[in-house]
Amino acid sequence: MSDIALSIPQARAARPRSVARVLRTIQTVSIFIIALVIVSPLLLLVVASLKDDRFQILADMGSFRAFWVSNPTLSNYAEVGHLSGELAFGRYLINSLIILVTTVCSGLIVNSMAGFVLAWGSLRGRAVILAVVIALYVIPQESIIMPLVIMVSRAGMSDTFAVQIVPWVASPLYIFLFYQFFTQLPKELLEAAEMDGASFFRAYRSIFLPLSLPALATVSILMGIETWNQYLWPILVTQTDYARPIAVAIATFFGQDSIYWDRAMAASVLMMIPILGLYLVFQRWFVSSFIGSAVKG
Amino acid sequence: MGKRLLQSLILSSALAATWAVAAEKTAIQVMHQGDPGFVAAYGKVAERFEAANPDVDVQFIYAPHDAYNEKFSAAVMAKQLPDIMELDAPFLANYVWSGYLQPIKPLIDKDLLDDMTESNIAQGTYPIDKDLYAIGLTDSSVVLYGNRKYLEAIGARIPKSVDDAWTREEFETYLEKLSKLEGVKWPIDTFRGYGIKTEWITYAYGPILQSAGCDLIDRKAWKSEGTLDSDACVDALAMMQKWVKNGWVVPQSAGTNQFYAEGNPAALALGGHWVYAEAVAAMKDNLVVLPLPKFGTKGASPNGTWIWAITKTSKHPDIAAKFISFLLKDKEYRAYVASQSGYPGLKSFAAESPLYANGGPMAIAFEQASKTAVARPPHPAYPTITSAFMQAVDEVFNGGDPKEALTSAAKKIDEDIEDNDGYPPFGDQE
Repeated sequence: MSDIALSIPQARAARPRSVARVLRTIQTVSIFIIALVIVSPLLLLVVASLKDDRFQILADMGSFRAFWVSNPTLSNYAEVGHLSGELAFGRYLINSLIILVTTVCSGLIVNSMAGFVLAWGSLRGRAVILAVVIALYVIPQESIIMPLVIMVSRAGMSDTFAVQIVPWVASPLYIFLFYQFFTQLPKELLEAAEMDGASFFRAYRSIFLPLSLPALATVSILMGIETWNQYLWPILVTQTDYARPIAVAIATFFGQDSIYWDRAMAASVLMMIPILGLYLVFQRWFVSSFIGSAVKG
Repeated sequence: MGKRLLQSLILSSALAATWAVAAEKTAIQVMHQGDPGFVAAYGKVAERFEAANPDVDVQFIYAPHDAYNEKFSAAVMAKQLPDIMELDAPFLANYVWSGYLQPIKPLIDKDLLDDMTESNIAQGTYPIDKDLYAIGLTDSSVVLYGNRKYLEAIGARIPKSVDDAWTREEFETYLEKLSKLEGVKWPIDTFRGYGIKTEWITYAYGPILQSAGCDLIDRKAWKSEGTLDSDACVDALAMMQKWVKNGWVVPQSAGTNQFYAEGNPAALALGGHWVYAEAVAAMKDNLVVLPLPKFGTKGASPNGTWIWAITKTSKHPDIAAKFISFLLKDKEYRAYVASQSGYPGLKSFAAESPLYANGGPMAIAFEQASKTAVARPPHPAYPTITSAFMQAVDEVFNGGDPKEALTSAAKKIDEDIEDNDGYPPFGDQE
């Protein structure tokens, strides 16, 4: 009798704990499944790039064999990685890296400066300029692409690195992002700097820019992805492999009659690595920027 | 001191001579598309051509297949047209009408002109002045590929020639039987995976409408309304919609091949001649090549492929033509194209291709060229015609009403022709 009386409260206490444990297990399993679903296309990409037969890749699609390679080989990477010849994907990759680094670095300087001037500058008609910048953002790229082609060809910029960098350095979206970030910082910082004799540019460079790491990270990642994935523009304004990026080169594998999945997969993995690296470098500030804007919102 | 001076002088003279030779080189630009195999093949031909003509520098401009027209438009706008351009045959009329191309008959080697098949001449000829503007080593066609095992299992008749092609009733009966056969997931693969950004839909499905007794446009009046939206066309497209609704057609999401993929989930394939090489490698004797079915009283099959033309802005049309002639005669290039089951556009190339000769495994495909081939409308409005038709087919395959979709497509085509005042002198031909 007494044993029964003692066991009842213990059972009541144990039940919530076991329910919590079950819920936690369900949660863990769910997260694991979601992660698997998200990662599986990337896994498939990497595995397929290690197969040496494009017909086998095709045959394996749609079954679990797509995620398994019995005789892995790096031959596809060797095939696409060389630096000269008609199919010099190594060369295209280097071109992409040059375009990415130059565009992002120039973009950070130009857009942050523009954002700072719009936030704290003393120029006339600031509000109007800001309205124009926002209005420019809604114009789709496709509608201006052909006039832009004519402009750059008349300027003699065709088939150069510059033609893929210069038109995309200044962007209404990134100017606005920097503008928003700078307006959230206290104006007293600028006043204190001016009282100490610092110029407007010095205040930007030495105080505001170092404080804007989350904005710099966000713009770097967004601009990096945008630049890295440019496809139509480089096709329109470049002629040879001199300055063409890898996104165009990969399109060679998707012919009218056949698709070279093996080499396309290897080139895609190579193409993915730099942008993944960029994300990993800036991830901490990128995430904090999002969290920050959510909390402040 | 004197010796060193002499050495310097000799070195400077040599450098100056080298520079002069380099400066004397004539550059010709070639715009093209193609997969890595063809890109590499063109590069090797250029190397051989430059070795034979040391004063010429061949420069390639590659444009991906799916963005070729955009690249071409950009080149036109930027006034940077190349000397030689590869173009898809049905777009020829538009390019000639727009003034981008020049006649090539006086420029190309005569033996090559005499060697062209009728279909090849047709694909490179502008219908208004009947002049030749482009030439190719190859042409193309679409056939019906079959899985012998499946066809024998349902007791299907195997046609031996184009005259013997399946009728619409036979074809639909076989599709239904195949849909119930074990091992068959889809009775037919129509390569919907090629999508609507290529020419595939107009190229391969257009002949089904033509065989059923209609067309994309009236080829005398150059008017689409009353033709593309006629009862025969609506009926043909409704028939194809039924195949899709019944689950007989491989969906677009399944990719570009389910016919010779492992397990052979598709029993038939409405595929281009280029499918043969990969299909026979995978299926061996189990592959059967059949003529396209007759969906009405007559058969119809497509033709036309990517061919070479010289632009009007070329400063060196003679050298450009010399390169095209060299390319079409190059033995190693021909061997590569033959290995890719290239469909002959030159009689000599046909003689070198046992695949297409009488009794050859693809003889039926070559027979179609002379008996049932219907060129896509050779009209400057073709870019609009193909785009409107492809959108209509895509809409119908996704459940849209065939009559409405075709009426809307016909209106779009006629509006474009009206907007361009009938593309004179096309309108004046009536």
